[in-house]
Amino acid sequence: MRSELANKVEAVLFVAEKPVSRSELARVVGATPRQLDAALGELRLAYEETGMRLQHDGDEWQIVTAPEMASYVASYLGADRLRVSPASLETLAVVAYRQPITRAEVEAVRGVNCDQTIYTLMSRRLIEERGRKEAPGRPILYGTTWEFLECFGLSSLDQLPTVLAPDGALPVSPEPA
Amino acid sequence: MTGEHDDAPVIGVRPPRVSVEGFEGPLDLLLQLVEEKKLDILRVRLGDLASEYLDRVRAMGQLPAEEASAFLWLASRLVLLKARSLLPSLEPVPLEEDEVSEEELRARLLEYQAVRKRAQALGDRLRAGERAFHREGGTVELPPRGGDTDALAAAWSRVLTLAMRQRREELEVPPERYSVQQRTAEIEEIVQREGSVSFGTLLGEDPSLAFAIVTFISLLDLYRRAVIDLQQEELFGEILVVKKGKRDAERAGE
Repeated sequence: MRSELANKVEAVLFVAEKPVSRSELARVVGATPRQLDAALGELRLAYEETGMRLQHDGDEWQIVTAPEMASYVASYLGADRLRVSPASLETLAVVAYRQPITRAEVEAVRGVNCDQTIYTLMSRRLIEERGRKEAPGRPILYGTTWEFLECFGLSSLDQLPTVLAPDGALPVSPEPA
Repeated sequence: MTGEHDDAPVIGVRPPRVSVEGFEGPLDLLLQLVEEKKLDILRVRLGDLASEYLDRVRAMGQLPAEEASAFLWLASRLVLLKARSLLPSLEPVPLEEDEVSEEELRARLLEYQAVRKRAQALGDRLRAGERAFHREGGTVELPPRGGDTDALAAAWSRVLTLAMRQRREELEVPPERYSVQQRTAEIEEIVQREGSVSFGTLLGEDPSLAFAIVTFISLLDLYRRAVIDLQQEELFGEILVVKKGKRDAERAGE
């Protein structure tokens, strides 16, 4: 049996066409942040057996379709399959796992110039600017977008596939060259 | 999101990156060598790979200058590492400003390897096509408050009555004649006398269609001439016809 609060949250998220922040959700359903978190957790569990998922990026929440249903939804919407080149995927992987990150830092990891791939990922709305780094030249910081989560069927950044270095440790980060 | 082209070219930035002989840059090539030989990144002496690395670079043929320099930088780095391991006496030579030590290079290689695996994992997800979709657009504009079914029924019966009466008028009653000019004068007189009057009152009980139209056009005309003002408190609420001067006076009094 789901709680009344979870139902309220579900109803609001159902009509939302864009992600709704935690604070706004709490305000409209009249809940404390703690109660809201409980309700969101409850909903997330409840959706596991359905065609929908509760997706969140930081504090922003939205109901989306379950990745397993993608082929049906895509055929209804007439949506194209997204294709990304191996080079762009590498840059995307660096940004996704190390965000927020500057272009120079991405290049230090990949060992190649990344202007092109960053431009491509930006124009596909898979990454976006996340302010500036407090460093000489104040370089732009990049992070992944809500669209990124959707395109890869991740309900949050915690769900990024875990890939460890051969020694089992998370890879070290060299200083940008 | 649609992907009609992979890495569409960017005008004015640089020619589209072509991966050279299948390598995404110098680190990729080095990693490939390590993996081909099934060596352990943590133990292999990277300098030992110098000559094979150079062979691969030579075999690449035409490279854009900028690309080539990156490959050559790493090649020279590997040669130096090899020279140092062969001649231990050279060991204490201090590293130059922008040089990286073998350990750093190893660390970069490790991280790059992890990145490549992650990129592969992301690519797999993409190929599996298991993505999410959100609700898209199409907000319906609704009246502010929920629909009242009784009101709907009442409106329908009014329409029916109106329709029936109109038929009767058409069949039985010789049409009344109203002129906009005459009606305008009447309304103006009422408004001057009363200060304000509701649209409903002006229409009266059971107006004929012609009468309603003439009254409406008269109001528009009076409004255009700034004799009256029209107020409506809420959607579908009563429309109040107000004498222009009076409302201004009230405003001034506020």
